[in-house]
Amino acid sequence: MEFTFELNGEEHRIGLITRKPRLTLSVDGRVHHVSDVILKNKDQLLLTIDGHRHTVWRARGDDHIHLKIGPGSFTLKYKDPLQVAQQSTDGDDVLKADMPGVVVSVHCEGKTPVVSGDILMVIESMKMQINIVAPRDGIIEAVQVGVDQTFEKGASLISLEVEN
Amino acid sequence: MARIQSTIQTGSSEFRGFYKHNKELAKELRERQHQARHDRPQKDIDRVVNQGKCMPRDRLHKLLDPRTPFLEFSTLAANMAYDGDAPGAGCITGIGVVNGHEVIIHANDSTIKGGAWYPLTVKKIVRCLDIAIENRLPVIHLCDSAGGFLPMQSELFPDKYMAGRMFRNQCILSKLNVKQLALVFGHCTAGGAYIPALSDYSVIVRGTGAVFLAGPPLVKAATGEIVTADELGGCDLHTQISGTCDYPAASEDEAIAIGREIVEQWERTPKWSIQRDAVEEPYYDPDELYGVIPDDIKRPFEMREVIARIVDGSRFHEYQPVYGKTLVCGYANIWGYKIGILANNGVLFNDSALKGAHFIELCNQNNTPLLFLQNITGYMVGRDYEAQGITKDGAKMIMAQVGAHVPKFTVMCHGSFGAGNYGMCGRAYDGRFLFSWPNHQIGIMGGEQAANTLAEVKMRQLERRGEEIQQDTLEAVYQQTLKAYKHQMSAYYATSELWDDGLLDPIDTRNTLGIAISASLNAPLGEQGYGIYRF
Amino acid sequence: MFDSVLIANRGEIACRIIRTARRLGLRTIAIYHHQDRRAPHVELADEAHIIEADVPTAAYLDIGQIINIAGNASASCVHPGYGFLSENAEFAAAVEATKMTFIGPQPEIIRLMGDKNQSREFAQQTNVPTAPSARQKGDLDALLADATRLGFPLLIKAVAGGGGKGMSIVHNEADLVDCARTASSEAARYFADGRIYAERYIERGRHIEVQILGDGKGDAIHLFERECSVQRRFQKIIEESPATSLDHELRCRICETAVNMAKNANYRNAGTVEFIVAPDGEFYFLETNTRLQVEHPVTELVCGVDLVEAQFRIAATGELPWHQEDIRQSGHAIECRIYCEESDGTFLPAVGTVKVLNIPDVPGIRFDGGIALNQTITAAFDPMAGKLICHGTNRNAAINLCERGLNEIVLLGVNNNIDYLRGILKHEAFKAGRLHTEFIKEHTSTLIPDGPNDSEQTALLIAAALDVDNIRTLIFDTPEPYASIGDWQN
Repeated sequence: MEFTFELNGEEHRIGLITRKPRLTLSVDGRVHHVSDVILKNKDQLLLTIDGHRHTVWRARGDDHIHLKIGPGSFTLKYKDPLQVAQQSTDGDDVLKADMPGVVVSVHCEGKTPVVSGDILMVIESMKMQINIVAPRDGIIEAVQVGVDQTFEKGASLISLEVEN
Repeated sequence: MARIQSTIQTGSSEFRGFYKHNKELAKELRERQHQARHDRPQKDIDRVVNQGKCMPRDRLHKLLDPRTPFLEFSTLAANMAYDGDAPGAGCITGIGVVNGHEVIIHANDSTIKGGAWYPLTVKKIVRCLDIAIENRLPVIHLCDSAGGFLPMQSELFPDKYMAGRMFRNQCILSKLNVKQLALVFGHCTAGGAYIPALSDYSVIVRGTGAVFLAGPPLVKAATGEIVTADELGGCDLHTQISGTCDYPAASEDEAIAIGREIVEQWERTPKWSIQRDAVEEPYYDPDELYGVIPDDIKRPFEMREVIARIVDGSRFHEYQPVYGKTLVCGYANIWGYKIGILANNGVLFNDSALKGAHFIELCNQNNTPLLFLQNITGYMVGRDYEAQGITKDGAKMIMAQVGAHVPKFTVMCHGSFGAGNYGMCGRAYDGRFLFSWPNHQIGIMGGEQAANTLAEVKMRQLERRGEEIQQDTLEAVYQQTLKAYKHQMSAYYATSELWDDGLLDPIDTRNTLGIAISASLNAPLGEQGYGIYRF
Repeated sequence: MFDSVLIANRGEIACRIIRTARRLGLRTIAIYHHQDRRAPHVELADEAHIIEADVPTAAYLDIGQIINIAGNASASCVHPGYGFLSENAEFAAAVEATKMTFIGPQPEIIRLMGDKNQSREFAQQTNVPTAPSARQKGDLDALLADATRLGFPLLIKAVAGGGGKGMSIVHNEADLVDCARTASSEAARYFADGRIYAERYIERGRHIEVQILGDGKGDAIHLFERECSVQRRFQKIIEESPATSLDHELRCRICETAVNMAKNANYRNAGTVEFIVAPDGEFYFLETNTRLQVEHPVTELVCGVDLVEAQFRIAATGELPWHQEDIRQSGHAIECRIYCEESDGTFLPAVGTVKVLNIPDVPGIRFDGGIALNQTITAAFDPMAGKLICHGTNRNAAINLCERGLNEIVLLGVNNNIDYLRGILKHEAFKAGRLHTEFIKEHTSTLIPDGPNDSEQTALLIAAALDVDNIRTLIFDTPEPYASIGDWQN
């Protein structure tokens, strides 16, 4: 089991090698001894790595971990194992209708990039207007239905290009 | 506590002879375990891979916390059954750590006949759930089974402790507020469908996971309906429509990640606490155990030498050191946990039986778990001993042992014959865990003894009938009996039949007991109280 | 001296004004929008009143509400800070219509200098050199024709604009029409006035401005110059005083020109006259800002004065606090503006919450901050978090102090430009003083902050891992004896 972090767009992997008698972690395959970990004032982490003492200021953002070491500040993102597992699934490539309905408006088209949360289409079903939103960042492959078109439950509405 | 003073001479030819013998046995054990765990016909591996599924041990590895131990039970179950078609009885059970929680795992091995349940598979799973109940260990089921092995249905279906007992145990676990999580990687057919249904949480993998009371072939036979496994009971049906499963997963990795996150939500229930001191490695090298254990089942050995190579710092506080010397009793620590040890140094006499009973009561009152190290051929026999009440005294020891409410652990270090097995907490006596060493033999009596006895019986029979006593006939009876006994007395036979929770390389005993003791503390102590001692 | 002041502003400048006002013994009254309820200026002031509006910035522009609150709070004067209503003549007039004093110039002067066409005319009338320009007299096409005649590159600016907004550079005729249209609609949006004008763009010029103080009766002094050439998209990032390697005679001429303009206008209170100095040594008037500027601290440190105090004194007494000969420059000061912005090259405003804020306590380093711990930074307001201003005996000393300050300052929780600023200060061209308004553009590719070195990167990743609860649990909270037994199977 390895833990994945993203820094400046690159992924890095950290693994646990031993806990006792000494804590050793692997970072991108290289093994390091870690000791004397002290959390000071809730925002400073002091730790010794391979004999060198480091002071790292730390703060947790919504989605990111903000750290400062030496003069530079950096932002890292932890990719929760569940996120990593879900990244590689196909589940979010075709957006299907949960209920029968009709298309009210379309706000995307093939080959255009979208961002997670973008409203792609508005449908009406059971007297309610529902937004079909992009489940992830990606590129629209095709829009399968047009305005005023009715569809059945389970119909494919929009497909996203498969991520690599 | 003082250290045991070892008196064995590691340079002696006897030691070296024993060492060589036991080292061989340990090597054989490791090899046979390795085969049972990993050797599969390539076509079976390919079949599973082509189905888009992962190897069961890979699932386990991803599920468990990194760099934590896994105590596997009964690796060699069914090794002497079914022509060896079902190594490990087609399933993996054991104790591990998931997100900091001690859990017990029950995983089907679909590389063996699709994970089908043989009679011993059912016995192993029922035992796994019994352990869960007795120790209040949360259970994670990794489901991937073709269901009951139909050709042997009469041995796995109808009786009290057969298949139905699995689901009954699941209900009892739930009643006791012990969590269960089911990860459905493959099929859960017929009774197996109840496993996720009776679990608190279930995750099902899209495409390969399916839950149904009857699979497509049976459905077609029963009603003529033609339907695929996925349509009949797949992920989307059960997570979106029927509500039988809780979480859909698009891949096995996702299912495991979800499963781990589910476990993260479980409360950490407080464990019963017993005295725990700082841990110390044994002063004497556990490797020397190989030289302590004789190469002959009839030869005795000094149990203190065994204790010295298992317990913390080799330290031992002996109780009644000069009374009842054939039973060594005393306190020691294993991985910091204080336990009371009863170990055989010969046949049980009146005094040793009484000492044992008394020591058991002391430990019971002190909330100290008990460890029984067995090497027993039985109680002393003979008229004098009967007159002194050896039977009564043995009964008192059994009564005390059964009345104990502290967790009990047993290691079969060498022989376990006859009534001695009982007082020393044999399988029937509800010890939390029972393990055996590969040199162990178990029987109602020793092989030669039995063979002689039966030959004697045959001779009397022939005499009564007035028939001629043929030496050959007697010899045949003797040899046949001996052969049968040797076959059924070996540790491998015992473990095959699940008379224990697994064979151990003697040097693994310490870690195994450390984990076992820790696991046992998740359950509250039983009720105090003994029956009537016949004084 | 007044006995109380209402500060019609927020953020860094509000805190700055409150600090001086406190020192002078004034009761300080703050206003704030609900989104600013955790802002430091609210805490710092003696009393704080909420102002309402749907859009947060609109609250600080609501003249009616603000005057009302000032009246109810019995404020003796109103300090507008910079931005917001500071150059709004109507506001100044409204304040003066009540019995309160407006800390700033007369409303007519604000109006005059606020209209770029009028201020240019005034400058020309008073012999202040101005860059060739084209005004919009009739329709847009006539303006564009005039503009084309000026020659390219040229600058399209909003008549009612300021603060770097509503400006764009046009390099060739083909872009002129589109630029003009965009500039006009932006101007309408930001300044409620879509008028634009065009001016010759001086390439590689230096932005030199002069701090002036006037008594409103025809007397004025200058407090020397500041250089603000390090800009990105017309927004100043680093300012300093004095302007390095500026010919002494030229410096004097520029300051004299500025102060004369102020005298001619009967300028009252503080102001800044901005010039562009061309590579050939010619200088041209840009505009006059009728308020205190963001970068005023560099003047304060180099001249040893408190300009906010000067503003209060002039407003209270009608007298200038110093004579021209009292003003001397000593040492060198540099200010770095710290913005909450993305560090991915887009420089878009960043949002987040200030989780850690630690300012180094070093002599010579001053931090004028506008954010507090746990404050949420949103896109609602200007993204400036504060200013780091350093004063040393010479420019190198000042640079060293700034570098130290930027190295040691800790601001975590919202992305910011601290690393970017370090990159500028480290740059050889900056250290050599080769400054001009295209500095950032010229050196863009070499201004990217360094990534972490190997050892730092490892430390970062491990620190991040130890920060994730789940990982920490897996490492430190594994129950015994499992943790000690480790990787083992029977």
